[in-house]
Amino acid sequence: MSSATQVQPPLRDLSQRMIKKHHVAIILLHWFNAITWLIELTTGAALISSEHFRFVPVWFVTMITEVSGTRANLLRFHIAAGLTWITVFAVYAIFGWQTYFHQEVLEREVALDKDDFNWLRIRVLRILGRSNEPLPPQGIYNAGQKMFALMVYVMIPVIMGTGLVMAFHWGPMTLVGWAVVLHFAAVAVVVSGLMVHVYMGAVFPEEKPAFFSMLTGMVPEEFAYKHHHKWWKEVKMLEELHAAGLAEPRPVPRPSRLAAALRMKEHWPGYWAGFGLGLTLLATFLIVGQGLGASGGFTRYLAFVLSLVAPGYASAHPYWSNYVQPGQPVLMDFLVFELIGVALGGVVSGWLAGHLKWTTDKGPRISPRTRWALAFLGGAISGAGARLARGCTSGLALSGGSVLSAGAFVFMLSVFAAGFIGAYFLRRIWL
Amino acid sequence: MARYAMVTDLTKCVGCQACTAACNSEWDVPPGHARTHVRPTGAVGKFPDLRSAFYVAQCNHCDDPPCVKPCPSGATFQADNGIVKVDRNLCIGCGFCVQACPYEARYLNPATQKVDKCDFCASRLERGRQPACVTTCTAHAKYFGDLEDSSGDIYRMVYTRGARRIESGEVKVGPNVYYLGRRGEPQLVAAMFPPRLPKLPAAGEWWSKVVKPLALALVGATFAGQAVAFFTQLRKGEGQFDE
Repeated sequence: MSSATQVQPPLRDLSQRMIKKHHVAIILLHWFNAITWLIELTTGAALISSEHFRFVPVWFVTMITEVSGTRANLLRFHIAAGLTWITVFAVYAIFGWQTYFHQEVLEREVALDKDDFNWLRIRVLRILGRSNEPLPPQGIYNAGQKMFALMVYVMIPVIMGTGLVMAFHWGPMTLVGWAVVLHFAAVAVVVSGLMVHVYMGAVFPEEKPAFFSMLTGMVPEEFAYKHHHKWWKEVKMLEELHAAGLAEPRPVPRPSRLAAALRMKEHWPGYWAGFGLGLTLLATFLIVGQGLGASGGFTRYLAFVLSLVAPGYASAHPYWSNYVQPGQPVLMDFLVFELIGVALGGVVSGWLAGHLKWTTDKGPRISPRTRWALAFLGGAISGAGARLARGCTSGLALSGGSVLSAGAFVFMLSVFAAGFIGAYFLRRIWL
Repeated sequence: MARYAMVTDLTKCVGCQACTAACNSEWDVPPGHARTHVRPTGAVGKFPDLRSAFYVAQCNHCDDPPCVKPCPSGATFQADNGIVKVDRNLCIGCGFCVQACPYEARYLNPATQKVDKCDFCASRLERGRQPACVTTCTAHAKYFGDLEDSSGDIYRMVYTRGARRIESGEVKVGPNVYYLGRRGEPQLVAAMFPPRLPKLPAAGEWWSKVVKPLALALVGATFAGQAVAFFTQLRKGEGQFDE
């Protein structure tokens, strides 16, 4: 590293200690921002339906419109989410002006120095495998992060301003017309930066601690020492001042429980998970007024495809007409969204626990191909069975059982009985 | 499904603007704007061979409406019965459609800041009534009906009495407002008030020709750059990074 006076501390010790990087308010703002961007990008892309300007496939526009019911709803939702976003940022800007904006934004997030410019050059060369030069020491944010921040701070007011002009028709037609174009252009610029940002945070292995710092607020001291050396020195200097009694003592940061839970490498004990699932079920009853399910959601997806391919057949069919009604969005159902959430949640929790990998779970006697074929066959049989029984293990046994439906218990007993007998005959697949 | 059309008999029209007044009052059109209006050609020709006619202008609900494509949000659309409508809840008032219309049938309503235009009185049609301008016309010069109904008046006027569309050599978008006239009034009107070429305003031109390709290129280039970085990293292996 560049500073020669610094004595090399043993890295082992550094990896044990955590130092605080982000205030909880910043963490919350970050994730609020992430969710809002996801929502606004999805709805915004679907809002541009003109043949001249559309940049996503028609099926995407159709799907998002379908989910929203009407296009007017879609626009209302886009505007409502945007206004919420502006309000939250305004509150942060007003109340955090002294502590956050001046110190954080101007001094730490956007001010680029000579080290930063060198860092940018070497970083790019290193990624391309063209250089082995050491990277210059960095502050609390590295030059790449600063560039992204700079761009975002320029573009966000443009996006907000043009959004308000469009939403409230501030000004003549020409101005509104240009506002649409600028809104789109500014979003495109941010998205291109956002892609790098998300890639760095979610995929790039070196920056993994930076991702976790956006959940827990803490980074290992080793990471700060290697990647944000100038900031690490600042922190050390402050600590020495504290030790010498020259500055106000600060509370020693504790590792948060969330961090511990998120880093858990083992599976949860089954009873805990069952209890958690019960609470989730209770929450869905309270919030959306219906229980969990699985096969019903898949039925909706199929009905949606059918309504696109053969709308006449679907709306006349005695079974599919339950789902496909003219003027009613097929996908507007809790289970449709729940299934997406289940898939996403599964990936995220698997990833956080370090279990994420491509694999085929199978018995030792059969090939992966046989396993896939059998899984498909079994899935088809249980799918058909679930529709005959008017529910599956989730919708009928779990949600039905929780409201003491007799059918749920009959179903559950039948499932266990059939499983017990069937398992004996199919044991060679697994053993 | 019906295909609605209107026929105006210019020989009967006396230019009294009763249709304009009826429309303005039916639809709360603000002063200075109109969904339909009557424009006189004035005396055309050389004395004593003078001719004149009144151009009763409104939205033509074209077969191939040039106003639909430029609308970014899809607020302007054509219903199955041919009526071109503006979904006011979806309109953001950018005015791209106003410039696209060859017949200047659209305007930005200053009260709502949304685009407004004739919709053949769609809500009156739903209640089984004729458009306001038709019922009000003092000379009974306006007719409205279904072009696909071969026993109807509109069908007869268009296909056997030769009612004409106002089109020009460059602009042929299939307008569905037809004009009758025994003394060549429709031809006079078409010559005096030819439809203008559909135009995309500068903002729209820039968007579709410059900003959109640039944006896609920028995002695409970032994606490609990342892919290169990702595979370089994959080749080097994770072990090289001291975690």
